[in-house]
Amino acid sequence: MATTRSWKKHAMLLAFVFPALLFYIAFTLAPAFGGIAYSLTDWNGLNPAYRIVGLANYIEAMNDRFFLKSLAFTAKFVLYMLVLQNALAILLAVLVEAMGRSKVWFRTIFFMPNMLSLIIGGFMWMFIFTRVFPYLADQTGWRLLDQSWIGDPRYSFFAILALSLWGGVGYLMVIYIAALQGVPQHLKEAAAMDGAGPLAIFRHVTLPMIYPALTIGVFLTLNASFKAFDAVYSLTGGGPGRATQVIALNIFEEAFSFSNRYGYASAKAMILFGIVVVITIIQLAIMKRREVQA
Amino acid sequence: MNRLGGRLGSWTALLFLLAAAVVTLFPIYMALLNSVKTQGEMLTNILALPSSLEVGNYADAFRKINYFRSLWNTFVVVAVGLAGIILFASMAGYKLSRTPGKLSGFLFGLLVMSTLIPFHSIMITLVKISKELRLQGSAVGLGLLYIGLGVAVAVFLYHGFVKSVPKELDEAAVIDGCGEFRLFFTVILPLLLPITATIAILNTLWMWNDFLLPLLILTDYKSYTLLLSTNMLFGEYNNDWSAILASLVLAMLPVIALYLALQKYILHGIAEGAIKA
Amino acid sequence: MKRALHLLLALTMTAALAACSSGNNGGGTDSGNNTASSSPTASETTGEATKATPKKVELKVFMSFPRFKDQFENYFAQFKEKELAEKNIDVSIQLEMPNADQAKQILQSRLSSGDAPDLYTLHANDIPTYFDAGYVADLTGQPFVGKLYEAVTETVKYDGKVAALPLESLSWGYLYNKKIFADNGLTPPQTLDEMKAAAEKLQSAGVKPFLLAFQESWIPQLMMALSLGGTVSSAHPDWIEKMNAGEASYADVRSVFDSIDLIMANGTDKPFETGNEAGSAEFANGGAAMWVQGPWNAETILKVNPSMEFGVAPLPVSNNPEDTMINLATSTSLALSPTSANKEVALDLLNYILDDKDSSALFEELKFNPIATVHTYEVFPWVNEASEYVSKGKAYLDLKLPNGVTDETAKLLQSYYAKDVTQDDIIASLDKVWRTSVSSN
Repeated sequence: MATTRSWKKHAMLLAFVFPALLFYIAFTLAPAFGGIAYSLTDWNGLNPAYRIVGLANYIEAMNDRFFLKSLAFTAKFVLYMLVLQNALAILLAVLVEAMGRSKVWFRTIFFMPNMLSLIIGGFMWMFIFTRVFPYLADQTGWRLLDQSWIGDPRYSFFAILALSLWGGVGYLMVIYIAALQGVPQHLKEAAAMDGAGPLAIFRHVTLPMIYPALTIGVFLTLNASFKAFDAVYSLTGGGPGRATQVIALNIFEEAFSFSNRYGYASAKAMILFGIVVVITIIQLAIMKRREVQA
Repeated sequence: MNRLGGRLGSWTALLFLLAAAVVTLFPIYMALLNSVKTQGEMLTNILALPSSLEVGNYADAFRKINYFRSLWNTFVVVAVGLAGIILFASMAGYKLSRTPGKLSGFLFGLLVMSTLIPFHSIMITLVKISKELRLQGSAVGLGLLYIGLGVAVAVFLYHGFVKSVPKELDEAAVIDGCGEFRLFFTVILPLLLPITATIAILNTLWMWNDFLLPLLILTDYKSYTLLLSTNMLFGEYNNDWSAILASLVLAMLPVIALYLALQKYILHGIAEGAIKA
Repeated sequence: MKRALHLLLALTMTAALAACSSGNNGGGTDSGNNTASSSPTASETTGEATKATPKKVELKVFMSFPRFKDQFENYFAQFKEKELAEKNIDVSIQLEMPNADQAKQILQSRLSSGDAPDLYTLHANDIPTYFDAGYVADLTGQPFVGKLYEAVTETVKYDGKVAALPLESLSWGYLYNKKIFADNGLTPPQTLDEMKAAAEKLQSAGVKPFLLAFQESWIPQLMMALSLGGTVSSAHPDWIEKMNAGEASYADVRSVFDSIDLIMANGTDKPFETGNEAGSAEFANGGAAMWVQGPWNAETILKVNPSMEFGVAPLPVSNNPEDTMINLATSTSLALSPTSANKEVALDLLNYILDDKDSSALFEELKFNPIATVHTYEVFPWVNEASEYVSKGKAYLDLKLPNGVTDETAKLLQSYYAKDVTQDDIIASLDKVWRTSVSSN
């Protein structure tokens, strides 16, 4: 009797999940395996004939100077984004929540960049960096603005950072606002009565209570920044040369420009996938554990 | 509470927020501002107010990107994608959440894993598959592809949100003689409205602004989405900026409208879905 | 609210279903799925019965210049009339016009997934790679071939066969500002030393000798195209063969860096902030005396300053004036897919591009250079200037490098200016890319 019940339960589960699973397998999972298969060949994306080269692509990737450089550059980018995006999002969330009726306006404004494609945002920011900044620098005499924001790798890193933050903070802010709304008012008031200043209240009352949201925020930032493409593509194209080339761009160019080594590029994409999986698992494990404690 | 400190604090907060708002809106303002200038004006002084409102740019852009046709194409893609994602993901997320166990855990993990897969590694095989299935070249076909690509995240969100729907409701309905499917469609789905709205806006944003996949799938420029049509304005050697900027503004409008309509739900939806997960 | 959302959902589903079944809008639904299907109607008799229902044929055409959408649509409409009148075939053309930036990726995805368009544009330098992969049909013997200028035909030949129909054909070197040259008493230098002297003269007159616009990587790559082209064509004629066989290296032609270094050392500021558009504007307004760019940029330059007068001159690559030659190249060409299901009609369209009557008007409208005997329109002055060099024999065919080498060169030259890589790095990198490209084909 119990078995027929659980049979029926499993059947029901599969019935409900079937359509979603079908589409998913057809359009995400199967192509993913296709990608893995290509990574073991030397296919050049064009010629129907190709050879199986096993793990040769992977080994080559490990020694590919430009690939490794892009890994390092991406890692640096991820670190900055992780800290800045979440800090800014939390800051904005706290401040917006503290506002009265203008709350709704601010929320909408900060979420707006999210509604645009980063490619479009990139063009708009490109205007700003290459035309508006020098103009402002002339008017105000503020030399800092008159740099080669796109051409000089030291500055283009920050340009890309600015664009990505502009496009991404809004989304995280919304998550944090929701989390903040779940912090009981009375706890904060109790702490205030005990003589704690706003900063201390935040650190000891609010922050621990929004920890789950922090886990999500970190997860999303890690995930997205490792795969960052649109922002870099539209602003610097990875240039000058390869100075600002993130992994996704390195893979993309390998597959579609240059010698069109699609097989090789797929191997690199798999490596990227592996890195993201490992880091994500570690991150979730660590933060979920602390969540329970807090 | 230190009254003075509080007032000062909230003034600085306001100032900071205003500054942040200016920075956030600035690029959009620039696009708007320059979309009503002539191209020459734009290149000489990019910050200045236009000498006259070149509304003609909009009419021009309208024609060049064939606005209504592109809009319709985009709409079809999004509609098909959304319909599939919402329907299938809600079913899956609901059942997965209600049915604990190894099978459920495995399926859930399988679906969620997809968020980590980089698009470029599945791209070519995806195009191949879409060709075999004759999905290529049509907006509807593209929409179907998006279902497959987007259903996983939606399942994740539904899965979390369903926890806030009391199990008692399921049981009560079953006692009333309600079949599983009827239970789902008449009782559960309506209660999932907030997260559905969120999923709707998030996926709409994604599909509306997506570039690479539509480019690969839509083989006739007459079936291009808004973004693709606008992209045609970027010439090989020079760009038609007046038309481009006007098009960008035109493309933004429907999305902003949708957002404003569903605003209330988005906040709640993201919260419930993300945090409860 | 709930009801509204239900309604919305219901509406979208019905709309989706409606869009599915009616198979209209946004084109390319059903028609797009049947790859060039020809549904022979009742009348197999072609031509006899005057009232016979025309045979329906669909062609998929892929062209990477969206800026010419209107011109080609019109031209295709003319073609349709002609086919209908002469052969009783009703042709419908599905035209795909991606931006040049993404065209290559899309084309490759299509070709490799078996979804080849019937006709597609291809950069002439890519012909070898695509031909070897079996995606390009042999067009030798087609009517249009006989009408082409001989020099132009050479640019689209591979392995002795004509592989594509040339569309954009150019003679180019670098552009120079005629007024600045006149003001400073200069004529186009014929040797490297003369170029150095000219640059110095300009600098002391407060004029920047060269315009540098490196934001878009294809522009710095032009420098290599010219210097390598000139060096190989004059002093190392079998270098490409040897490279393909793995017996040579870029180190053999290290002298290419002489002209590149000269240009980079005497250029305008902030090159990475200057894209093609900005560069054209600067050049048109006299920001520099010379620019390593081609006449394809004429439209962009003249848009900024319609009265600007510029000329085309060959880039010196050594101190031997014989080595200073004009580069003759075909950029965009039109190829036929061997797997096309409607070869005959596709060939008709192809040949129509060089039609005796209509082709001249088309090419004039597109502002392409004349490439065939059927072209009778007036050309721009700089075209004549370049042609003079060609007729004196001071020209060479643009080099056909393996797939990927050009792109890699573009990136490396950007890095070179930014001092990220050295000459040796470039040599090693390019050698490697060449080897890999050759072996994976």
